[in-house]
Amino acid sequence: MRRIFLFDENSLNSSSTIDTSSASTIDTSFASQCTNFSSGQASGTQDTHAGIFEDCPGLNPNDERVVELQCEIREKCEALTQDPEMGLILGEALHAESDNVPFLQSIADDLTQNGVSGEAFQEALNIVGQAAASPLDQFEIVPLIPMHIGNFYFSFTNSSLFMLLTLSFFLLLIHFVTKKGGGNLVPNAWQSLVELLYDFVLNLVKEQIGGLSGNVKQMFFPCILVTFLFLLFCNLQGMIPYSFTVTSHFLITLALSFSIFIGITIVGFQRHGLHFFSFLLPAGVPLPLAPFLVLLELISYCFRALSLGIRLFANMMAGHSLVKILSGFAWTMLCMNDIFYFIGALGPLFIVLALTGLELGVAILQAYVFTILICIYLNDAINLH
Amino acid sequence: MTKREYNSQPEMLEGAKLIGAGAATIALAGAAIGIGNVFSSLIHSVARNPSLAKQLFGYAILGFALTEAIALFALMMAFLILFVF
Repeated sequence: MRRIFLFDENSLNSSSTIDTSSASTIDTSFASQCTNFSSGQASGTQDTHAGIFEDCPGLNPNDERVVELQCEIREKCEALTQDPEMGLILGEALHAESDNVPFLQSIADDLTQNGVSGEAFQEALNIVGQAAASPLDQFEIVPLIPMHIGNFYFSFTNSSLFMLLTLSFFLLLIHFVTKKGGGNLVPNAWQSLVELLYDFVLNLVKEQIGGLSGNVKQMFFPCILVTFLFLLFCNLQGMIPYSFTVTSHFLITLALSFSIFIGITIVGFQRHGLHFFSFLLPAGVPLPLAPFLVLLELISYCFRALSLGIRLFANMMAGHSLVKILSGFAWTMLCMNDIFYFIGALGPLFIVLALTGLELGVAILQAYVFTILICIYLNDAINLH
Repeated sequence: MTKREYNSQPEMLEGAKLIGAGAATIALAGAAIGIGNVFSSLIHSVARNPSLAKQLFGYAILGFALTEAIALFALMMAFLILFVF
């Protein structure tokens, strides 16, 4: 009923239009006071057809049933969202000023029967969501196969799907070029790609981890190779349009970096026992300074894990949002239906193209940086400064 | 009057968020200096000893990535300010 009152006010003041944001902030108690008044008003204005509803032709004052149903839809939305403002927005998106009684009735029935999980409510959320599209929408995690076990949430999400895809991609790639599929003396293109990746990480491990014999270094090599390949394929897969970037999620990169960090610390304790604590105190430090330095070194040591995760996540998220923002800009310009904008859109388009190239570079570079930092940290843990 | 006060609070919050996000980007000045420093050092070093160019470029790229990450921390702060609170 609040809507009717607002239209009344509009016509009485004959001022400019009232936008919905200010309308929605009017006190609820105030609106309920006007309910009786406005229903009387609506029946009173039946004969003056071109009166207060002039600026809103979709709303037919003669049909009180329409108004009733629209109010019912809005009230249902408010009850479902527990938030008057959100309910108003959703309700308006849902009935869309329609004066079709069966349509409105079906929406109202759906809201009554199915509630939040109903088709109508989800549609309202979709409509509102589309209106406020954010560049961060692409990182949304959608449960593909919802699974609840007790209080735990084990859904198979799009993130899990793309992680599985990544795994299967590089496992298949490696499977097809090693003994089973290839293993030629003179490698073909695929085989040399895999050999290139293998050699690259092998050299990295050889160069960065010092003071051990080759055999001991081999112990760490598989883990580092798999980490590198996983990140590389995740990052590159994220560059495919409409796919999902697994590494753009803090949770995933942080889980990876923390588990590796804990593993490296365990390796350090394994090799040095309690002597590993000397890592926290550089040699030749005057004793009075020691407490401060130990604290500082401890903080910087623990921060490594955090920064390793944040670096990868921030690079991926920032890059993808940037590309999304600029391509949205170019697309809007293209759709302006104006020849000058159409030509002008070439500028943003080329920037998007250049940025895509940059992002491909960043995808490879960040996988490399992650890997080389793991090697450096591992070297620190093994050789203690 | 009461209506105006009711209205202005979320808008002030929104404005403060935007100012905060803008202020967070000041950190980019430091990252710009850092990246410039990395590549200027690379050019200096290669000019002195061109035979090491390939090896030095690898180090420079690593340094670039580490410096850029700091800039991205600032970006992340801006995103946090804008979207989380």
